[in-house]
Amino acid sequence: MTFEVDIAGKTRQITVEPDGAVSSATGGVFRLRIGEMRSGVISSSRAPEMTPDLIISARVTDLGLSLRYESTGEVVDVAAIERVAGEWLVQLPHIDVTAVVDRRRHESGGAGAAAATGVQRVTAPMPGRVVRILVKAGDEVAVRQGLVVVEAMKMENELGSPKAGRVKEIAVAEGASVEAGRLLVVIE
Amino acid sequence: LADHHGTVLPFVERECSIQRRHQKVVEESPSTALTPEKRREMADCAARVARAVGYTNAGTIEFLLDEQGQFYFLEMNTRLQVEHPVTEQVTGLDLVQWQIRIARGERLTIPAERALTPRAHAIECRIYAEDPDRGFMPSPGLVRALAVPGGPGIRDDRGVAPGYEIPVFYDSMISKLIVWGDTRADAITRLGRVLDEYRVIGVHTTLPFFRWLIRQPEFLEARFDTTYLDRVLADRHGQPFAQPTTTDEEHGAIAAALSAWFLAHRATATAGGPSSEGKWRQAALVENLRSTLAARPNDWRRRS
Repeated sequence: MTFEVDIAGKTRQITVEPDGAVSSATGGVFRLRIGEMRSGVISSSRAPEMTPDLIISARVTDLGLSLRYESTGEVVDVAAIERVAGEWLVQLPHIDVTAVVDRRRHESGGAGAAAATGVQRVTAPMPGRVVRILVKAGDEVAVRQGLVVVEAMKMENELGSPKAGRVKEIAVAEGASVEAGRLLVVIE
Repeated sequence: LADHHGTVLPFVERECSIQRRHQKVVEESPSTALTPEKRREMADCAARVARAVGYTNAGTIEFLLDEQGQFYFLEMNTRLQVEHPVTEQVTGLDLVQWQIRIARGERLTIPAERALTPRAHAIECRIYAEDPDRGFMPSPGLVRALAVPGGPGIRDDRGVAPGYEIPVFYDSMISKLIVWGDTRADAITRLGRVLDEYRVIGVHTTLPFFRWLIRQPEFLEARFDTTYLDRVLADRHGQPFAQPTTTDEEHGAIAAALSAWFLAHRATATAGGPSSEGKWRQAALVENLRSTLAARPNDWRRRS
């Protein structure tokens, strides 16, 4: 089974194969092959750089997985949870990282906030309630200008425009409850 | 504390200057800014306020202290406060028990010196289910597991357990972590160890932020005022509080791939593979996530 795992803009192609008997409840030994796409762009015309197979024993624990690298004996206790479809919160000792697993192939790579172009859909980052709409359809907006204020967990968050442009559509009303991912505003 | 028999007992102060958008983040006791004389003066003033209004039970009088050492009345909180554990740990007194005893009509029998003399230094961190690297955005969800360090000088007042779902409707506080030692330096050393070992699996927390904060020179040397945290956070321009090394990223990628393998095999054990509709939905959610990450939330603030 092969996964594409993107962490901080770097994509690794990881093939996971059980090495002997493996139980999804308790774990087992796995053989992993890791290919790195250094540019962050997956391209079929270029073979990823391959590293030798890694043998890792993964034991299911209360916290998550206890990984033992057979070549070095190093043990790392990790937990990886899919918080949103495709987005994994990976919790290592002392540090958390976010991994996007099996994301769709995308030529533009990791786009930063300033790089947004074209029609942009601003969506709710989490479930909550729309408390204020700060713009109306047709308004010209600057990059990062506040568009909508969403409240969740006693917190208010002003969502800014991903680019300079014009408000094409307001897709919600003030007071509306929204799910994560619900379309709020379209900027063109 | 004030009982129903006219006794008003002022306690040692709590220092709450580490604030984000006027909300307390770290509280400690005693304050390094007060001399014993100033402490006594402030305590007398607080007791006079409580007497003036005929107050009973537990209450907190808040003062602002300026650079010249002058202090000014700010407000009175007529309740037990979130940060009361630091007072309990430096005095060894149980404030909640005393609330109940006072309500029952008992007399306060605590010697005045005991309430006003800190016998340790205590620091509290308010741990929230928030992602400090995304403008402290709330991070609701299922708490899968907890690893809470123990040992001498550690108290963890928490409201979550493995299996608890942090809902979207309420304040996202997970725990109040209180650590104490003989001196402030001892307490900070211990706090560093405890924060490094503390793990909450399943949601983002403010732990990485605290690990960063307590290693800042201004914090170590207690050179801060109420504007300190907002100032340094603004100067960071959203820079992450912890930067993963290449090794961390490798471990992370392997952990994610193995966990995805386990998830896929558990899913196929209970149901058929994902339907094409499910795949479309998944792809749409991933795209959506990408645009959410690109349009970084500016900053989350606690509603006052």
